[in-house]
Amino acid sequence: MSEREETMQPGEAALVERSRVLFGASVEGLDMATRSRLTQARYAALEAAQRGRARRGSRMPLLAPAGVMAAGLLAVALWFGSPLGHHPSADQPTFEDLDIVAASEGPGDTMEMLQEDPDFYAWADKASNNEPEA
Amino acid sequence: MAVERERMGREMTSFDTLTAAWMVWDGPAPETKGAVLEQTRELNQFLADIERRAFRMAQVALRDPDDALDVVQDAMLKLARSYAARPSAEWRPLFYRILENGIRDLQRRRTVRRRFMTWLPGSKEDPDGEAQDPLDTVAAAGPDVPEQLMQDQAMQKLETSLRQLPARQREAFMLRNFEGLDVAETAAAMGCSEGSVKTHYSRAVHTLREQLGEVW
Repeated sequence: MSEREETMQPGEAALVERSRVLFGASVEGLDMATRSRLTQARYAALEAAQRGRARRGSRMPLLAPAGVMAAGLLAVALWFGSPLGHHPSADQPTFEDLDIVAASEGPGDTMEMLQEDPDFYAWADKASNNEPEA
Repeated sequence: MAVERERMGREMTSFDTLTAAWMVWDGPAPETKGAVLEQTRELNQFLADIERRAFRMAQVALRDPDDALDVVQDAMLKLARSYAARPSAEWRPLFYRILENGIRDLQRRRTVRRRFMTWLPGSKEDPDGEAQDPLDTVAAAGPDVPEQLMQDQAMQKLETSLRQLPARQREAFMLRNFEGLDVAETAAAMGCSEGSVKTHYSRAVHTLREQLGEVW
């Protein structure tokens, strides 16, 4: 006896059994048109599942290499972008220097200033290096 | 120290690479053609086994055979599309969970539609044919088969009583009694605890017994 039937009142087990038999009979008595429509629905579901699987399958060969490539690019970017990968030397111009040059009034201004009085700028540079700390 | 940091940086980079590559493809593992064929055959067998009972259960809940067919078809599609790769032992509770959700959604839509229709002038008749005589839907039976007619009438009474049950009680009764799911499977299908299933089922049986009486 199942746990369900253990707790049933007298007559309830009979009701359960009769309802099961009647339901089974009603399932068996389904007309052919309904059976046919159910079969068509089943085939449509299986076909949809296969189409979905095929779509996933056709997408995978494209996505997998694309993913690896994207991951590779990310790794390269991380490597060269990180302080561990690349340290600019002190004598190389930095991006800040470029910004200062770019922020001047015009591209030719700096060179023109140097050409006007090179001795003055050489002295100024020397003086700033030799200036005692305050 | 710098060497150690550099080594850690390299390891982290390679971990990120693997993670990113894995995230691009989140589908199931590639399947062989034979495995796919076997799975399709198994799914076909499963659906063929339950489709008529599922249809009748949906019809009991919804009354309308076209609506019942729609929700069964929808449940089949959703199961096949989303859960075909799951172990076949999980299909039945999953299928019935989808089906019961579909039935509930449709009933909710009907309720909204019915409320809306009552606001329209000249639409007093029930849009879902709820006022239909239950005996109209009894399958045609010849005069030489009174037993069949009695069975059909008894089933009609049962269906009418089942429709009057609260939805959760009806679900528990049909899944356990008509589909033969055990308590755990019924709980999975209904999305509730096993204790709730037992309570719903017990109340359903008790109410049906009261409604149908001794002689049914």
